[in-house]
Amino acid sequence: MTRIAITGIGVIAPGAVGVDAFSALLDRGNTAATPIDRFDTRGLSAHTAALVRDFVPRDFIAPMKLRRMNTLSRFGVAAARLAISDRGSELSTAAGVAIGTAFGPVQTSVDYMQEYVEKGAALAPPQLFAESVANAPGSHVGIEFGLRGFNITVTQRESSALAALMYASSQIAKGVSPAAVVGGVDEVSEIAFGVLDRVGTLAHSNGAVDECARPFDRRRNGMVVGEGGAVVIAEAATRKEPYAFVSGFGIARDTTASISDWGESAEAVVSAMRAAIEDAELSVHNIDAIYASANSTKRADRLESAAIQSLFRDRPPVVATKGYFGEYAAGGALQLSAAILAIRDQKLHASTGFGEPDEALISPTRRQEDRDLRHILVNSISAGGGIVCAVLSREAA
Amino acid sequence: LRKPDPDIRIAVTGAGIICSIGHNKEEVWKAISESRAGIGKLTRFPGESFPTDLAAEVEGDLPVHGRDARRMSRSDKLAVVAAAEAIAQADGVKLDRAIVSTGTSTGGLVEGEDYYFSRLVRGRRRAPASMVLQQATSGPSDAVARAFNVGGGVVSNATACASAGAAIGIAADYLRAHHADAAIAGGTDALCRLTYSGFNVLQAVDGEPCAPFSSKRKGITLGEGAAYLVLERWDDAVARGARIIAELCGYGATCDAHHPTAPHEEGRGAEAAMRGALCDARSSAEAIDYVNAHGTGTLLNDSAETKAIIAALGTGVPVSSSKSYFGHTLGASGAVEAVITVLALANQIAPPTLRLETAAADCPLDYIPHTPRPMRMQNALSNTFGFGGSNVSLLFRRA
Repeated sequence: MTRIAITGIGVIAPGAVGVDAFSALLDRGNTAATPIDRFDTRGLSAHTAALVRDFVPRDFIAPMKLRRMNTLSRFGVAAARLAISDRGSELSTAAGVAIGTAFGPVQTSVDYMQEYVEKGAALAPPQLFAESVANAPGSHVGIEFGLRGFNITVTQRESSALAALMYASSQIAKGVSPAAVVGGVDEVSEIAFGVLDRVGTLAHSNGAVDECARPFDRRRNGMVVGEGGAVVIAEAATRKEPYAFVSGFGIARDTTASISDWGESAEAVVSAMRAAIEDAELSVHNIDAIYASANSTKRADRLESAAIQSLFRDRPPVVATKGYFGEYAAGGALQLSAAILAIRDQKLHASTGFGEPDEALISPTRRQEDRDLRHILVNSISAGGGIVCAVLSREAA
Repeated sequence: LRKPDPDIRIAVTGAGIICSIGHNKEEVWKAISESRAGIGKLTRFPGESFPTDLAAEVEGDLPVHGRDARRMSRSDKLAVVAAAEAIAQADGVKLDRAIVSTGTSTGGLVEGEDYYFSRLVRGRRRAPASMVLQQATSGPSDAVARAFNVGGGVVSNATACASAGAAIGIAADYLRAHHADAAIAGGTDALCRLTYSGFNVLQAVDGEPCAPFSSKRKGITLGEGAAYLVLERWDDAVARGARIIAELCGYGATCDAHHPTAPHEEGRGAEAAMRGALCDARSSAEAIDYVNAHGTGTLLNDSAETKAIIAALGTGVPVSSSKSYFGHTLGASGAVEAVITVLALANQIAPPTLRLETAAADCPLDYIPHTPRPMRMQNALSNTFGFGGSNVSLLFRRA
């Protein structure tokens, strides 16, 4: 049996910089979403997002290097520095890097196009072009920490960070790299926010209901988007007590999904969850909790709820974390980080935002609870139909 | 969790390609055989003024129809065309437990640019958002999976110009770990303004058609295209009676950890990627009969890659750059050139490097100038490197 140890976490989250602050944010049970002041939301239905506000990049990155990095690269390098420091020692140069990003450098592309329009196609700044590739954050992490193993950037929408962890774990298990910096980065940009708002994906106030992520709640009407960077150190052998172990992955695709929306086939979600549990050499009844994908959209929450009801006869508690930091936050790596902390602390988090059950749907945890947690299932269900599930375990075997 | 099992062999049972020299394998190989490049004037963006004006564009209509086609980006459509050819060749491959693994650098960015311009003109509320609902770089995987009802999963990566090589490597390991039963693995990228402008701003574009490894080389020619391979576990492919066109023996993926855009001068990461591929395939340097180089035509790449090839394989192996035919197809290049490598092995003909009048002083290898060379080839490497110093090398064997 192979399990991959998680030996460090670095988090740049809305409302929290560092793993302790992130843990405290989850303990407080409040959302980190706030009214948007970064761009003008007049005329839109939605006006809130979970934005990173307390992050001071120069605390983590030398000024000369900072100038060459966009927001995503800063999130990635700072989160990696925190994670490596949390691990306690430098990584081998053979370590790999796998970063997930749901939107990638949308804002950098917009900034580039603005210069292109104003100055002309020949005079846009080369620095912006270099940062307009989605793998810039991963590449900066490789350069900053001298990591010469694989360096891959996964862009599978909501599943990006889990998919990155899946690839990195496969490479560590295979033995090509002893360790990897794995995680995600994402940024809330005005242009993507505007598109999501136009197509009705975002939570919005509706009479008595205020604008809020309400996973599995009957009043839910869309997601709140989030941003940030979160990185974990995954490795084969460990010297210190790890946070948790990664023990299995499953992937599937919902063939009823259109190319830009969630589908309706609970079967595909069941198949991915089951595959992850089997890959971990476990049975369904071994799963002590589920950290759900639940992003507070009507469709995705209904789909996931039906799948969980179908697979689990004695349903373990389900935790919905997107109420804290939104969807897409760190490409899904904040949800993963929360689940890892749950294993370490043997404590389930409350599902903030959830208040009124939807009769047809499962109800997630309402309050924080100490609990014996040996295995946690983590789900990510993407628009377009992609599904990635992972199992985290407390013990090495 | 299950490890990728090194004893599991990976069969290539289908290949599809579209680029400036052809819309399918037959057209592409005919152009290769005739030493006929597909580089001409840039026509995709009339009205824009760039310092250079050449490109390797895919001409003609892309035959993708139906309701979904209206929402697809050009990169998505290129991907669907190439995937259709690959899946058709892998006649009878089951797709319910197959994955789509796609690499793309910018994906649907050109539609993002159109949306950006539309917003400037019509305002945020009136610009049509229907073309930008897919995330640009996951769109191609989602479109291919949707078009062919693929049920096993989607994995998209955007690792700059190494993307498609990475996509093929990821797929191989997921088959070896039984995460899926088949894979449609490849890459796609359509020309977009940002990339065309950006490489010009970096002064990395040749004003003439690119001349990889040449003393006159000045940079790349930007191209577009897509290609996919259908991969299956060897025993499964044999059991279902599939025609195996090549074996994917292994791959190596590394990072220079050196510079955001420039390769390491000595080709450190490229060398490690080739060594990684040899190790993954349990093969040796002496076994490699041909290298399909990344060979972009930039001063830095061709020099560094040559050094890396010499360090990893020695000076005896013939090397060529197919980019001299269809330019740099960016995120798609790893797959486009993997298909060329597979075709070279199948036909036992190495494609040449066009326009190589005089090799540069820092490029002392045999680059197969001008005309295709019939030769015995058992094993071939296909190199693909990208921004951020990401390197992937794929090792294919004749079936």
